[in-house]
Amino acid sequence: VPDDLLLGLKFIFGPSAVPALDMVDQRSVTRVTSPSGRTAYQVLGSSGKLYTCYSSCHFCTCPAFGFTVLQKNESLLCKHILAVYLSQAMGACQELTVSEEQLTSILLAQEEDEG
Amino acid sequence: LCRGGLAERLCRLQNRERSAISFWRHQCISDAKIPSDKSGVLIVKILEMFEECTIQVAICQQLEQSPATLSSEDAVVNAGEPILKVLFARETAAHLKSRLQDIIHIYPPWQKLLVKNTDVPVIMNTYFSQKVLLSEHSETTEKTYGLTKMLIRKNIISLAQMFRLDDLNDELCQESSDNQVACAPQIHNNCDSKERSAVNDSLLEMVESQGAVGWREAQVRVVIQRVYCLPAREGYRSHIQGNKPLCATPIINSDPANARLCLLVQDAYGMFSEVQLQSPSSADDIKQCCSRWEGKFCCLAGMKILQRTTRGRALGLFSLIDSLWPPVVPVKVLGQSQDSEMMTTNLPPPSFCYILTAQSGEIHVEVDEEEQISNLYQPPAVRALKEILQIDGCNERCSFWARVLYLRLQTKHSVPINQRDIWLFVTDSTLQNVVHVTPKVVAVSVAASCILSTEITEALGVASQLVFFKDALWGNGRIICVERTVLLLQKPLLYSAAGADLSELTGPVRLDELDSTTQANSVCAVRGTVVGVNESTAFSWPACDRCGNGKLELCPQDRGLLYCNQCSEVVISPVLKMQLEIFLSCPSRSQSIVKVKVWHKISFRLFVLINMLLSLQSYEVQSVLGKEVGLLNCYVHSVTSHPNCVALEEIVLL
Repeated sequence: VPDDLLLGLKFIFGPSAVPALDMVDQRSVTRVTSPSGRTAYQVLGSSGKLYTCYSSCHFCTCPAFGFTVLQKNESLLCKHILAVYLSQAMGACQELTVSEEQLTSILLAQEEDEG
Repeated sequence: LCRGGLAERLCRLQNRERSAISFWRHQCISDAKIPSDKSGVLIVKILEMFEECTIQVAICQQLEQSPATLSSEDAVVNAGEPILKVLFARETAAHLKSRLQDIIHIYPPWQKLLVKNTDVPVIMNTYFSQKVLLSEHSETTEKTYGLTKMLIRKNIISLAQMFRLDDLNDELCQESSDNQVACAPQIHNNCDSKERSAVNDSLLEMVESQGAVGWREAQVRVVIQRVYCLPAREGYRSHIQGNKPLCATPIINSDPANARLCLLVQDAYGMFSEVQLQSPSSADDIKQCCSRWEGKFCCLAGMKILQRTTRGRALGLFSLIDSLWPPVVPVKVLGQSQDSEMMTTNLPPPSFCYILTAQSGEIHVEVDEEEQISNLYQPPAVRALKEILQIDGCNERCSFWARVLYLRLQTKHSVPINQRDIWLFVTDSTLQNVVHVTPKVVAVSVAASCILSTEITEALGVASQLVFFKDALWGNGRIICVERTVLLLQKPLLYSAAGADLSELTGPVRLDELDSTTQANSVCAVRGTVVGVNESTAFSWPACDRCGNGKLELCPQDRGLLYCNQCSEVVISPVLKMQLEIFLSCPSRSQSIVKVKVWHKISFRLFVLINMLLSLQSYEVQSVLGKEVGLLNCYVHSVTSHPNCVALEEIVLL
């Protein structure tokens, strides 16, 4: 990977770049597939929490996404989504196959208690 | 970071880049001249500018090109007017302060990105950019530019674009281009006069646009949902109370004169905020403020943010907010225009709340007392005690109206008096008139953090009062009054009482009889037979027959007489008070040894007998044993299982 590309990532994505690359280095992104072909991405965040990123649209369950991207429009994406894209591009995703029920529960279990 | 990984590499590259940028900037300032080396320099003229996600996008026309090859890949250059989309990082944009028609020189290293299916190349990594000044009078024009405010259009990416909902894409693209937001961070926000006097109706917008330190001229209109007093904090004392998270006990100054008056307000979008007023009002004003202010609109100005607290950190505050959720009328939704529909269903309860206070000691809260009560106001829902005891949840706020039968101050000697919990034993008609199912009397613990006005404290000590408990907390099978709970002697003007039986008590108050379910810190009635007397704890003392003062002194003039310093008179015929521990056998709780400290009102016969026994200093236990003790009202000190013993103390109900 040439230096220019890395710097380009930094320019566009700002503070998300280094953490996202770190997640790629650590293989923190897992592509979860079910027999019907549905996929989702699970990213192990720095705090140890597992966040889910959707493959069909631009979304992550982390609070930073809700705040900086959706609410304040300050960022294009969060570090987890960037990590997903980078891992996809570099073929660094871990693969996991689960049953339909398990994938449904991953996609539905978005109620994270912040308290 | 992983050693040898991409992240580490980027960090190193970034550090190098940063020092290069600051070096270059420094150079730019010191040499006013453009560096002579023109190779690789991109020269552009800004045609259009907007901001998107903190990056400044400038649609530019490329002016001329140096013959040397550009540092990036594609070198397709026409003599025509190639259009470029140049991106500037926030910092660079602030440094450049560019305007339309400005000419910018972009020095290498910069990068060019060709996006599939688009014509316009994107130029990025434009850190080394410099604005070229055109005319000789450049300095003066620069100055005038600096003074006028700069408006840069902010391109807000709609959610539809974000989530790639293609059909709606075009429509919304148009809408977002109309958003104009004042940008340049260094320029003081000189808004038009229209905005200065405008009254906002969103707390969140106020907080975000005005910042934490002070709201300059804007005002926000909110509804006062609750008025209460919070104690003035004087530090914390760590104290673990079981599993309760509210366990860092603050050293509270519960003096009503030192309380801070607070308002829990809600804006038109449903967002809550707690406003702490710093005026030295005392808790005695709370009754007035509650009746005059609750439910009314008020305008907040000149606030500053004390704290942004979350659900996990302020359970007490959020239990109150939850009791007011969901809103009773539809609320507006942020981000949508005024005419769009309001939402009220399926709104999740708030997870954060700003705590505001007035800047520099001045109060900037104008309550519109003349106006009507707002529809958004949710008056306290008064419930019957029986219903409250059956609530399933925990940390739920509840309001009720009850008669106080007995008051007891907790006797923890390690805690100063003004910080001790007060226990009130209360009842209402729903508990008294029902047989067997629920207890007849409920204990309400009033923590030191619940500020009581002097009026209430005095009234409670004197006689049985009907008290309105507003926003008490129910949890773990107990009702507690904590911060934000208000006790009032009168019913509030507005309250909702769906199905509550608020009728007065008809007959005399009855307590539950002592039985196997009786627990410590409760009150009960006891009857049984005397099976023993604890001689070692028996003692008697004279008391003043006028005021009941038990601490009589010997008269200095005549040491044979007793003197009461509360009445300031000699006591001619003192009343003999005695304290005695007797053991009862109670049929209702036959397995336990029941130890009762009697001192108020035991049966006359028993009193006489024991009196005789004590004064004679000798007695036959048999003469006391077997005597029946009628229904005595008692406070349960402790219940132990090994040995199976219940320690009671006779009490007199208010």
